[in-house]
Amino acid sequence: MTTIAPETRAVFAAEHDAPIPYMQRTRDYYMTLGFTPYRWAHFAEVPFTPLPTPLSRARVALITTAAPFQPEAGDQGPGAPYNAGAKFYKVYSIPTASVPDLRISHVGYDRLHTTAADINTYLPLARMKDAAAAGRIGTLGPRVHGAPTNRSHRVTMETDVPEMLRRCQEDGVDAAVLVPS
Amino acid sequence: MCHQTVSLVARHLEAHGIATVIMGCAKDIVEHCGVPRFVFSDFPLGNSAGRPFDVESQRQTLELALRVLESAPAARSTVQSPLRWNADAAWKLDYLDLTKLSPEKIAERRKDFDEVKSIARGKREAS
Repeated sequence: MTTIAPETRAVFAAEHDAPIPYMQRTRDYYMTLGFTPYRWAHFAEVPFTPLPTPLSRARVALITTAAPFQPEAGDQGPGAPYNAGAKFYKVYSIPTASVPDLRISHVGYDRLHTTAADINTYLPLARMKDAAAAGRIGTLGPRVHGAPTNRSHRVTMETDVPEMLRRCQEDGVDAAVLVPS
Repeated sequence: MCHQTVSLVARHLEAHGIATVIMGCAKDIVEHCGVPRFVFSDFPLGNSAGRPFDVESQRQTLELALRVLESAPAARSTVQSPLRWNADAAWKLDYLDLTKLSPEKIAERRKDFDEVKSIARGKREAS
């Protein structure tokens, strides 16, 4: 849908055709349901490390928030309802040489407009293997690392984040691609 | 929550000498946290790495992320993928849209959320 601005005669995009304001939407939603609003992590300072080596020689990690499939934990298939029973609470690692079965039924993806039927939409492991085979990146790190999505900033920052760093250092990676579900 | 988690991980890796790029669909959450490099796809949550069953869109999205990883000049570099989910942006109005919920539905959702929290708590305490 487009609208014409009368002063300029330019064709503008629809007002709502902008990135979804997720923080505002969730704040309004949970307040209406009667819960206190969540305080999202927010920092004024942001660290920055230039890529230390050309990408064609770099070792690159893949980091995900997808969950390993748990046969006993109920429906985790495409379009499954939100499944809190499929959550995980400890950092995990899986060899990149494998074809891991990772799902996203444990998080709030957009179930109305997508179904998580194709793992490659939330885990670019196959595409990263293509990039490594083509010489676009030096090598893939030996393991995909999985981060639990905890509501508690304290648990994430004090427990999970240092563990993710430790594993990346153990793998000797120069860079990381991080993909939320 | 996923976008916040990877943002916190990216910041920590970067502070310890590992260059990072996030591929994601929730622009406000990632930018509010503040991260070094971010490729934003204006797609429904769940499609951070490209469209379903569309290898070319997945390849393009990863390539954009790799280019941002190589060439971002400073922290808070966000690049938006030129790909569109749909010519019509109406899908963006639907996420947690309260205007479509009756008071009964809101009460039901509240109960559901309490149940989800209780399941998650049990799982967390058992792990």
